[in-house]
Amino acid sequence: MTSLAADVVSALQVGAVVALAPLLTGIMRKVKARTQKRMGASVFQPYYELSKLWVKDEVVSESTSWIFSSTPWIVAVATVTAAFFVPVFLPFSPFSAAGDLLLVVGLLALARFFTMLAGIDAASAFGGIGTSREMMISSLVEPGLFLTIFVVSLTLGGTNLTSLVVAAAKTGVVIAPSMLFALISLFVIILAETGRLPFDNPATHLELTMVHEAMVLEYSGRSLALLEWSQSTKQLVLLALLVNLFLPLGMPTSIEAGVTMLGLGSVAVLLKVCLLAAVVAYVETRVAKWRLFRVPDLLAVAIAVAMVGMVFFYL
Amino acid sequence: MTPDYFSTLLPAIVALFILGALLPLVFRDPRRESIASFVPAAVGSLLTVVLSASVLLSHQVFRFSSPVVAALPSMSLSFYIDGIAAFFMLIIGLVATPVSVYSLGYANSYSGKHSVRALGSLLNVFVLSMVLVTATNGVFSFLLFWELMSLASFLLVVYEHEKETNLRSGITYLVMTHIGTAFIMAAFLVLYFQTGSLSFDSFRASAGNLGPFTKDLVFVLALVGFGTKAGLVPMHIWLPKAHPSAPSNVSALMSGVMLKVGIYGLVRVTLDFAVPSSPGDAWLGMLMVVAGSSSALVGVLYASVEHDIKRALAYHSVENIGIIVLGLGLSVVFMSYGLETIAALALLASMYHSLNHAVFKGLLFMGAGSVLMGTGTADMNKMGGLAKKMPWTALFFLVGSIAIAGLPPLNGFVSEWLTLQALLSSYQVPNVVLQLSIGFASIALALTVGLASATFVKLFGISFLSRPRSQAAEEATEAPVSMIAGMTIAGSLCVALGVLPFVATSAIASGFGFDMGLVSSYAPFGPLTVGYAADGLRSVSSLSMPMVLLLTGSVGAALLGFAAVAGSGKKTVTRPYVTWEGGFGALGERTQYTATSLSQPIRTVFKWFFRPHTTVERDFFSDSNHLIKKSVSVYSETREVFEDDLYSPALRGVVYVLDRMRRLQTGKINSYLLYMMVATIALLVLVVFQP
Repeated sequence: MTSLAADVVSALQVGAVVALAPLLTGIMRKVKARTQKRMGASVFQPYYELSKLWVKDEVVSESTSWIFSSTPWIVAVATVTAAFFVPVFLPFSPFSAAGDLLLVVGLLALARFFTMLAGIDAASAFGGIGTSREMMISSLVEPGLFLTIFVVSLTLGGTNLTSLVVAAAKTGVVIAPSMLFALISLFVIILAETGRLPFDNPATHLELTMVHEAMVLEYSGRSLALLEWSQSTKQLVLLALLVNLFLPLGMPTSIEAGVTMLGLGSVAVLLKVCLLAAVVAYVETRVAKWRLFRVPDLLAVAIAVAMVGMVFFYL
Repeated sequence: MTPDYFSTLLPAIVALFILGALLPLVFRDPRRESIASFVPAAVGSLLTVVLSASVLLSHQVFRFSSPVVAALPSMSLSFYIDGIAAFFMLIIGLVATPVSVYSLGYANSYSGKHSVRALGSLLNVFVLSMVLVTATNGVFSFLLFWELMSLASFLLVVYEHEKETNLRSGITYLVMTHIGTAFIMAAFLVLYFQTGSLSFDSFRASAGNLGPFTKDLVFVLALVGFGTKAGLVPMHIWLPKAHPSAPSNVSALMSGVMLKVGIYGLVRVTLDFAVPSSPGDAWLGMLMVVAGSSSALVGVLYASVEHDIKRALAYHSVENIGIIVLGLGLSVVFMSYGLETIAALALLASMYHSLNHAVFKGLLFMGAGSVLMGTGTADMNKMGGLAKKMPWTALFFLVGSIAIAGLPPLNGFVSEWLTLQALLSSYQVPNVVLQLSIGFASIALALTVGLASATFVKLFGISFLSRPRSQAAEEATEAPVSMIAGMTIAGSLCVALGVLPFVATSAIASGFGFDMGLVSSYAPFGPLTVGYAADGLRSVSSLSMPMVLLLTGSVGAALLGFAAVAGSGKKTVTRPYVTWEGGFGALGERTQYTATSLSQPIRTVFKWFFRPHTTVERDFFSDSNHLIKKSVSVYSETREVFEDDLYSPALRGVVYVLDRMRRLQTGKINSYLLYMMVATIALLVLVVFQP
């Protein structure tokens, strides 16, 4: 494959991720509604919301600085750039030579850093409460996340995402105990990173429970649309990462596998991601939001599980 | 052959700093005093950069003997600038240049209150002594310049001497730094007994002949001694006191540069005098890994609950020194097992982080100094909204915050990436216990990185964003041009070192003499690469910052293009309005989150560490009814675990023993005569019975 073709394919892949991300959010909401015996809105509702917000006027607090107005753009750019390094539908990303798993984590952390700053900027106590809680959760997520990366990198080799995904696809169904423990840990971490229950409730605006929503409470119009879109994109990217590393069933082992295989692989990824999203949404109906200071316990479990995974790898 | 201009450059640098130290003494006007001291300092620092860069580029060792004192052989000053020394001189120069420029404006804030010429003079002496410590090639001159550096910085710490807290921190610093010096002397003495010479050349020559026990001894003594200067836990207690007490330009130098001189000593001993060569030396590396990761964690935990901006930055120095020593320790472990490639990777990570920390911590302390000058307070709970009053300071403080939080695309990310890669490479060590321990040390590092990013949200957010929390913050003014110029230089370095890592990696590879191709492509703009090969799996992890930046730019352009096309149908209006106040009417400044409340969840989660002590005082209208309160006040403070549980008992023990000894001093002449007689008899007995 020539380098230009690779770049085009990669840009298409990212385009698909960005375009499909709101659909995934819609599906999760629908599953959640049905398991709660509600009809729920159409799965395309997030698209309607985004297109409505995109053309709405904005109200911006007088207390804010340029940090507040530039944050949605920085968040969107950082999230979409991160998507370039992740092989989502294909077992390949041409940018793997320029950035690895640690860079993806770093770019998402950059987006979160600015979201936290924007929470403080409006001088509202709601933004402060969100930032304050996110500071705690994000700093505790980090060790579990890195330890999981450690285990994955030991088992599949390095941190280059293309090699990781290809190695996972070659291994087939992952039966190594270290990877099973890493999977459990990463699942918990993705729940925390994407702001799902029991860490955070994406559907609430109650000050007792909200974390991410509190930080972006002051946003409206196009800025809010960008932030929500980025949040959906981040969710899709992280779920796809989990699927491709731990459940590589159907993923071709090379980019040279032929158009049919690649197409089938992409459909498989899509189906698996939807299934995983449905699981996440189903979990949300079964658990209540945890009290804030019980959240560290769950994250500690994630860290401990990843540690067990590492012990299994070395012993 | 080294080019001729080298031998004129070093004396020129020394002369410039001496000029900067003496010239201000002849002026009477504070403005002239500051120009007379900081302009030579800036030029001297710039020449230091030139000298070190030339040494690094020439790949040669530059030797120089001072002709002035050559007559006295025991005291001859011989200089030896190899790649290691040159690299640390580069750090000194790169930070001292912007700080000198910055000081031109900053010193004016002291005019009329304190002696500007003392500040300028001492600052020159301080920088000069650091340059000479790295350049020197003998125990005697090393200790001389080391002492000069410690004393100059002590005087600068107590510069604002009318405040009692500053004097207290000065004393703590003075005592701790001398305890450290004692350990360094001990390490050198052990080497002296082995080699019979006080010259570093002979230490270097006999590096291979050291017995295992001697090597361990030298190593541990050096770790404690230089670790004290660098601020390793548990010898760090002076650091969060001394750095906030010093004027901010001095804090920038102390935190950015002086701590690195401690690291220099450690590197000199580990790479030159007591080189790890067999798996038996791996525990020394692990000792450093443990000391490093606990320093990182302790430093960041204290920083996360701190509301004094300068003290928080000082605790972050403890954290970053921890990361540096962690990398160095990994390098020692890998060297012990003969794993050259990953030893070079770990060393590269550690040295890259030293350089980065110098630059961004210098920048952050300069930013804190501007805030201090603009608002008159270092308490973040009294700040807020400064992004509008001090836009440039805010911008550069943000750059420093992103860099230190280890976020792309700035320099902190690159060195933390390398450190993490070094940790991931530990699978090559053929020892399960070490593999697992290093794996678990990575938890500490990851938690540190997470907490650091949270802490800088607090530091930047509370100081610069939202609404002013006090009158002083309301009336804050932007810093003068020279200070902004200083911050611009340091800020640009943060960006440059992040986006163009090959500049730093080639400097380090040349300075430390390893093959740069191991970890980085030779081509400019090429990626950093780390290979993985085990169990039939082969892959190369790489990071190319220019590419990442290019991609980010394209994504940004595409997004703006999309916004222009997709939103062109309807024109949107952005309307300013007050923050939604929940329907209660205008919000006061006091309803905002403060630095203390923002970190409350972290304080609660880690309460086993902080052991917060909260006092609630209630004042009632009448004693009969405790339901109606006149006022309630809550004081919450965290304990300094190391001081309360380690140093205070030790200090009490020493005082107790000395108290007992004081009983000998009766003040009566008879008893003193008795002591003398007993001493004489004892000596005579000793002489008689000596074999």
